[in-house]
Amino acid sequence: MDFGFSEQQRDVQNLAREILSDSVTAEKLSHYDDYKGERFDRELWSKLAQAGLLGVAVDEEYGGMGFGFFELGLLVEEAGRTIAPLPLISHLISSALPIQQFGSSAQKQKWLPGVCSGETLLTAALSEAHNDDPAEPYLTTAKVDGDTLLLSGQKTNVPFANIANRILLAAKSSDGVVVVLLDPKSEGVSLTTQQVTTYEPQFVVNLDNVRIHAEDILIAAADGKAAMQWIAERSTVALCAHQLGASDKAMRMTASYTAERKQFGVLISTFQAVGHRAANCFIDVECLRLNTYQAISRLDGGLDATNEVQIAKIWAGDVGHRVSYAAQHLHGGAGIDRDYPLWRYCTWLRHNEMVLGSSAKTLAKLGKRIAAGDAFCS
Amino acid sequence: MKVEFTAAQDALRKELRAYFDELMTPALKAECDEAMGEGGGPLWREALKKMGKDGWIGVGWPKELGGRGMSPIEQFIFVEEVMRAGYPFPFLTTESVGPQLAEHGNERQKREIVPKILAGECLIAIGYSEPGAGTDLASLKTSAVKDGDGWLINGQKMWTSLAHFCDYVWLACRTDPDAAKPHKGISMFMVPTSDPGWSCSPVITLGEVRTNATFYDNIRVPEDAMVGELNGGWKLITSQLNRERLSLVNFGPTAEMFNNIVRWAQTLDLPTGGKLIDEPWVQINLAKVRAGVEALKLVCYKQAWAMTEGNLEMADASAAKVYGSEFFIEVYRLLGEVIGEASLISRRTDGANPIASRIERLYRTASIITFGGGTNEIQRDIISAAGLWMPRASR
Repeated sequence: MDFGFSEQQRDVQNLAREILSDSVTAEKLSHYDDYKGERFDRELWSKLAQAGLLGVAVDEEYGGMGFGFFELGLLVEEAGRTIAPLPLISHLISSALPIQQFGSSAQKQKWLPGVCSGETLLTAALSEAHNDDPAEPYLTTAKVDGDTLLLSGQKTNVPFANIANRILLAAKSSDGVVVVLLDPKSEGVSLTTQQVTTYEPQFVVNLDNVRIHAEDILIAAADGKAAMQWIAERSTVALCAHQLGASDKAMRMTASYTAERKQFGVLISTFQAVGHRAANCFIDVECLRLNTYQAISRLDGGLDATNEVQIAKIWAGDVGHRVSYAAQHLHGGAGIDRDYPLWRYCTWLRHNEMVLGSSAKTLAKLGKRIAAGDAFCS
Repeated sequence: MKVEFTAAQDALRKELRAYFDELMTPALKAECDEAMGEGGGPLWREALKKMGKDGWIGVGWPKELGGRGMSPIEQFIFVEEVMRAGYPFPFLTTESVGPQLAEHGNERQKREIVPKILAGECLIAIGYSEPGAGTDLASLKTSAVKDGDGWLINGQKMWTSLAHFCDYVWLACRTDPDAAKPHKGISMFMVPTSDPGWSCSPVITLGEVRTNATFYDNIRVPEDAMVGELNGGWKLITSQLNRERLSLVNFGPTAEMFNNIVRWAQTLDLPTGGKLIDEPWVQINLAKVRAGVEALKLVCYKQAWAMTEGNLEMADASAAKVYGSEFFIEVYRLLGEVIGEASLISRRTDGANPIASRIERLYRTASIITFGGGTNEIQRDIISAAGLWMPRASR
């Protein structure tokens, strides 16, 4: 049991925090509100690339730093702390990491150097309508046609599908689940814009007999389901890390506000009712932090982490919800005023809560595992 | 960061689990049940001495103090396992006062008392609260007045749990009634319960757990009964409480109870068909407990780790206490719901299900720790001030 950061982890954390906190300001974020501009800070993207952070968990032979999943998690936590306008999770965790893990050497050679340099943008389509289990695609099917596949169906809430070079997605085939890298410019692909609560560009991806060539098939049917489980766990825990950064920041913003705001001639932080609500956030955020780090640490060490990831996601959903409303409430009107930076955090806390399984849904999944005897306390 | 047990720690947990499987004989279990989870009986004492002799009580203590020289993490693993086994471990003595004596005690205390603690031969109760001093502890009135080469102690304490079978009370006394601030006039003493001026009367609580009012009538103790510096008691009290808070919310027993109830629900046939565990609401209740226990485990081990590193944060200790104490109440409710009306049946009923009757009792005892060991309101004050730097009202 070691809860301390290694020197390498501290370096990554400090570097990410420095770059992100310097570059992401409320003023800049306001440019993306109401979809005024595409929520993607390309200048910041290349800064992260230059610092090596986009390749933090990519092998050195493809231009990365060759660090582990824990360091990548710390980068995502910092992105959450600043709610940076960057597609870090969909690009790095849901797409690049699986290519590195499951891809052929040609696929790795083709995509990973661009991932690190920031010139390639990847994304992943993990959700379908009323189905947020990435390992069980129902509405997207694949038919084998020679050494190619023909895909039909629909994925929803795909971030940056319009500008991504490839979209990782899974489809049901006659003998399992295949995972492919879809070129959104292929014939038969059409995108429908979705406007979402965070103003992130998201799309419904419609597939009508889209041909996937052999070089873009990432995982064959026999291994697809397990691979998607692998991807889902890492993507889920990345959402937890993002939630951790965002909720920690929203809580601290709130604590600072109560230490400046006076009513009845005294700082409002001196009212016990105010202090106690903030203290509840502190406990909540600590529980989220430890469960998130545990899940990341286990995945980083190659250990089974299904229970730990589910538990972290339950905490991420609950804590995000509670911190969001406590933060708004303790700010009073300032919390909802669009000229004050808190409100954007609230939409991201909501996003992370709902994506890839809410608390209720995840509790049900964990409950099934408990019933099956797979989740005893050790 | 590596949030998992090392191979050696895993082995230690296994070794301890086997050790306690053997130690917890049916007779000892029955005696502990009779003592309402408090201990104090003859078999209980014997088992404690055995743990001492086998070198477990001080597993995480430095070797020069008679321990095995492992870290606070191993010490916590031991406490987790002993409590998981259902043995009412005297953690106030071993985990909170003991380390204070080892750190701040004088030569005699270190020579005579500390080794006895590690041998399982010395038990200590905590004497802080008084009829008029609870949460506002610094207003305590029990006095110690200089009397030649010793001190004369007079007063009354409340909620002196375990005192009826302890050897000493770790007693907070006012030594300077004129101190500029009340908490600056307090000193700590080790007062033997064998003194004729010492007496106690039982207070029986909702959960049938006995606690005590204790009385101090002209008790004369020598100079070296004082712990630490004259009027320097407050620091010892707060640091003892930080340690106590961690022990109060040990997750071992809850983890064990969760596992037992899952196994029970897996096999229980419903008269309407199917097993109890097939019910969706049962699965949800169990999942809520499971997610909460995991957080408690991590909160506890993070603190054990912080102690190892020497950087235990006050806000974290308070957060663990608030979270754990309120979670326990929730656990007993959620698991009680799973068990249903059987969770109202006392163990005194012939053929009572031991798992269900345990919940019956725990539900009645759970409220103690939301205010005991420092009420949760004060803990939340500490968290917002020390953890979030929020200025607080002066008191």
